[in-house]
Amino acid sequence: MRKASTPDQRISTTHCAVRASRPRRGVLHLSAGAWIIVLIAVVSTCAVAIWPIPKRSGLDMWTSARAHVPMYEPVIARWNEDHSPPVNLFLLSSDVLGRRMMSGFLSQTPLADIIEIERSQVGRAFAGPLEDVGFVDLTERIHREGLYEQMNEPSFSPWSSRGHIFGLPHDVHPMMLVYRADIVEAAGIDVSKIQTWDDFARLMRPLMNDLDREGQPKRYPLSLWYTSPDQVEALVLQAGGGYFDDQGHPVIDSDSNARVISTIVSWTAGPTRIAADAPEFTGSGNELRIQGFVVCSLMPDWLGGVWKLDLPQLRGKLKLMPLPAWTRGGRRTSVWGGTMLGIPKTPDLEKVWPFARQLYFNESVARKLYETNDIISPVKSMWKSEFYGLPDPYFSGQSPGSMYIALAPMVPRRTSSPYNMMAKERVQDALIFLREYAIAHNQYDPYQLIPEAKRQLREAQESVARQLSHNVFLRQERSG
Amino acid sequence: MTNTRQPRGAPYLFLSPFLLLFMAFTAYPLLRSMTLSLQQTFGPRATQFVGMDNFRFLFADPRFWKALKNTAVFTAGSIFIQLPCSLGLAMLLNKPGIRGRAFFRLIFFSPSLVGLVFVAMIFSIIFEKRTGLLNVALHHAFGFNVDFPWLQEYVMSALILASLWMYVGFNMVYFLAALQNVSKDLLEAAEIDGAGFFSRFINITLPAISPVGSFVVLLSLVGGFQLFELPYILLNGSGPNSQGLTVVMYLFQTGFETGDLGYASAIGWVLALLLILFAICQRVFSSVRES
Repeated sequence: MRKASTPDQRISTTHCAVRASRPRRGVLHLSAGAWIIVLIAVVSTCAVAIWPIPKRSGLDMWTSARAHVPMYEPVIARWNEDHSPPVNLFLLSSDVLGRRMMSGFLSQTPLADIIEIERSQVGRAFAGPLEDVGFVDLTERIHREGLYEQMNEPSFSPWSSRGHIFGLPHDVHPMMLVYRADIVEAAGIDVSKIQTWDDFARLMRPLMNDLDREGQPKRYPLSLWYTSPDQVEALVLQAGGGYFDDQGHPVIDSDSNARVISTIVSWTAGPTRIAADAPEFTGSGNELRIQGFVVCSLMPDWLGGVWKLDLPQLRGKLKLMPLPAWTRGGRRTSVWGGTMLGIPKTPDLEKVWPFARQLYFNESVARKLYETNDIISPVKSMWKSEFYGLPDPYFSGQSPGSMYIALAPMVPRRTSSPYNMMAKERVQDALIFLREYAIAHNQYDPYQLIPEAKRQLREAQESVARQLSHNVFLRQERSG
Repeated sequence: MTNTRQPRGAPYLFLSPFLLLFMAFTAYPLLRSMTLSLQQTFGPRATQFVGMDNFRFLFADPRFWKALKNTAVFTAGSIFIQLPCSLGLAMLLNKPGIRGRAFFRLIFFSPSLVGLVFVAMIFSIIFEKRTGLLNVALHHAFGFNVDFPWLQEYVMSALILASLWMYVGFNMVYFLAALQNVSKDLLEAAEIDGAGFFSRFINITLPAISPVGSFVVLLSLVGGFQLFELPYILLNGSGPNSQGLTVVMYLFQTGFETGDLGYASAIGWVLALLLILFAICQRVFSSVRES
């Protein structure tokens, strides 16, 4: 009887038969179907390679600020009626805009003709040699047309690198202190007596006497935490410090910075504590604000617009006051955030520039910017506009516009260093170590903490300087 | 009937689309990143050859070592906490008498179906001080400190907890499949011979599932070393004192926030070599054990 073959054996036998009978033919001997596939592949490849990328007619503008779109659209519509080429506005998320901008600068992928970009994203555009910064250097043009004098001078600083201006400031973003007037006034505290942060701590501390069932304060005077690098930077700037000088050298371990971080530690730990963590832009932080767990917060102008949307419950319960100064008679404001309008290098600069000017010097845009977002314009001639003086029921009938404008010329200058984010992180690390030191040594007097603060800041500075020294382009520029 | 017209070059022709894509999107970027790691660049015009400078700087960079340490701690947490939990769950659900086994398998597996970004966002709310679900629940249950700073001072614990929730069920499925292939005859014979639960587990179950176990360890190792999205979203960056800084996050920050693509490429290559080394160690370890 013939033994049945296994399936494997059968396949193997068939395969051998195929191999044995296969004639030796050339590579190009293909079936009709295969030729069709090859043809489609070749044609589609050629089509993709040759087909021109459709270029939208007109000038493209990118922005990452959703709130700006409804303000700009009417201005752009009017501009497009009278001018050619027309302007097309596109809204991109902040991170996407930053990445597409860098991609365009570094590898020549398509870019918009006008880019409106936030401070947190723009620094890396300034990391390379000056001549390779992707934005048009507007320094000469801004001075020639008198814009430098027409706009708030410190507001140019975040958009300037190595003495050159690469963008028009969209805003000023001065900072004040917002407080729960209902709570503070009920406690009989007279805020007009608060001139310095020491006054603030002394006069506001009684608010912490109201305890919950577990013996913990129901309220803390200040919303601030040592893990909030933006707020820490704002206080550092207010005190006259900063992380980089005008030439981009790190100056992190200054006396001023040491004093500020020592004081923040004393506010967030031990018997001198007056601050609590109620992070901005979070549901939990907002809940704590509604409860009155934190009574005062640092508030740049734009944050008022955010609160009106996120915290309508606080309408009529809030008031603004200038920031307490670090020294008597010192600066009563600071700055947080910012956006600029930049023009990537283009042969069409003369077509783009008039539109940029029209947009940023337009009174109706400035008005809407204030009415919908509480943001004041950096154009000084507009500061006299009547709408800035109108009372705002959200802030108990105060006129936030006028109050912010009074502080605008005093906002501190800021760095545009691509290493600023890193510096902020390192200063935060220094704060964390300093707080641990304070707790370990039961030492909460800010003046006693200054030597340790300086030591921690020196380490932070060395870390940033080390990274800076690795940038061969900056090194070469400095050496000659 | 056989096809006598099939040419010798046809396989290559049909492989060519893949090969072309592979060359364009894998091989070329690999080579390009290798050359980039020897350069400092700022766009196509500003490029400078720096030799091994990026690597020298890397090995002396405290932040890189911090990132490596954080990543190693997270990975160790994943392996030594997550995998025993997965195995325990798998053994529980492998017991024949349990009702609703399929339902529980689905419940435990389902977190891994949720996107990592979503998980990070959920946990950023759960770990909030004072109002977060975890602190509030623990406070009501045990009087736990409602201001416990998970995301400020206990970052790694928070990351390991979040990843435990997400992946414990995923790894459980591997172990469950392995456990179902353990010889029941052997287990019964051992039981008849008087072997207790732990003796059976150590001498029969564990050796039987060890090939799957070592595969899961390797997967967790590679996954742990590629950790990025979870801390990036949970902490909105690397977190206080860079406690959540991982190697991939440092690569991202260097390349896409500071713009130093050369240094980022060097970090990428060191990470790749580390992972290759782990894979080789795992292979050697497996083959030694098998022999």
